[in-house]
Amino acid sequence: MRVLVRVVGALLAIGVAVCGALLAIEVAWSWAQKGDATLFVAWPRWRAWLEGQSWNSTAVRVTAGILAATGLVLVIIAATARRRDILLQDPATEVSVTTSPASLARIVGQRVRAEDNVSGASVIATATRVRVRASSRLSSEEELRPRLLAVVKATVDGLPLVTTPRITVVVNSPRDRR
Amino acid sequence: MSAASLSALARSYRGERVLTMVVGLLALLAAAATTAVGLGWFGPYRAARPVIDPIAVDWVGRHQLVSRVVAIAVGVLLLVLGLIVLVRALRPESQPDLALDHTVGTGLLVTAGAIAEAIRVDAEQVEGVGRARARMVGDRANPALRLSLWLREGSDVKAVWQELDAKVLSRARESLGVAALPTAVRMELAAARRRRVH
Repeated sequence: MRVLVRVVGALLAIGVAVCGALLAIEVAWSWAQKGDATLFVAWPRWRAWLEGQSWNSTAVRVTAGILAATGLVLVIIAATARRRDILLQDPATEVSVTTSPASLARIVGQRVRAEDNVSGASVIATATRVRVRASSRLSSEEELRPRLLAVVKATVDGLPLVTTPRITVVVNSPRDRR
Repeated sequence: MSAASLSALARSYRGERVLTMVVGLLALLAAAATTAVGLGWFGPYRAARPVIDPIAVDWVGRHQLVSRVVAIAVGVLLLVLGLIVLVRALRPESQPDLALDHTVGTGLLVTAGAIAEAIRVDAEQVEGVGRARARMVGDRANPALRLSLWLREGSDVKAVWQELDAKVLSRARESLGVAALPTAVRMELAAARRRRVH
């Protein structure tokens, strides 16, 4: 979403600049020409149309709805465009180290898949939480889960993370369905 | 954890983000206010009045000079604000050279590319690092280094993390003769080795 907010932000900046320029130019022009003189924007026509619309007319309500939807989309874009990097401890002053959530997920996934009786695993990692879903054909959840928890914990502890993420492990096994 | 090394982690996009948020919030508020008026929350007569209210038009007509000056000022302000955000968004991220000697006439400047290349080569020598990329960021007054490392599968993250400052960064500081070089390191762990198709 960071790319999106950069593109949207630049486009909005153009929009704000153009609107400001048009406002200043039109007001100055009509002031100089004494009357409803227009240069680029046919604002007297807009004004005449708006004078015919009441606040509870359908056109105004629909416009407000579109405006609200656009605003909501912009707010969501801005709110979700945050960095999800995971901070590692500083090896020295003036040095900051981060890694990506995908990296953490990859490294945990590799260790989990290397365990016996694990046929597959998917990992979702953030700075505060690591979620592992492993599947196994031969072991039940009861047998495998403590072992995997220990492996994941050892892996995470082996990294110099700033915040220790909470670990959840779920095992899918056909043995549990019987 | 210092602010200089943290801000070197990635290019800032604060301006664009704040602008997007502010425009979005203003649009939401305007829409909410319009809907509230239209639903008659401010009185049933208000809802039936035209959007461009004769009372407001009358007021503007009586204070014509003030209205015009304010409108032009707001327009110019928006223009300047938009241009500032736009220029900052489109400007490429700077790669400052490092001035080691500020004496006029005998100043010594190390180019950003030279430092980055030297540090990149050094970083790739560290055990477990498959690929490295270095880049100077910040500005002339506050230069910083951004170092991206791709660690090989099975490499010891903690060892790399320790060796990084002990060998690569301290050597860079020593050879450049600077007391501090704020550095942001981005590590990709267990990165797949790039395969070539023959």
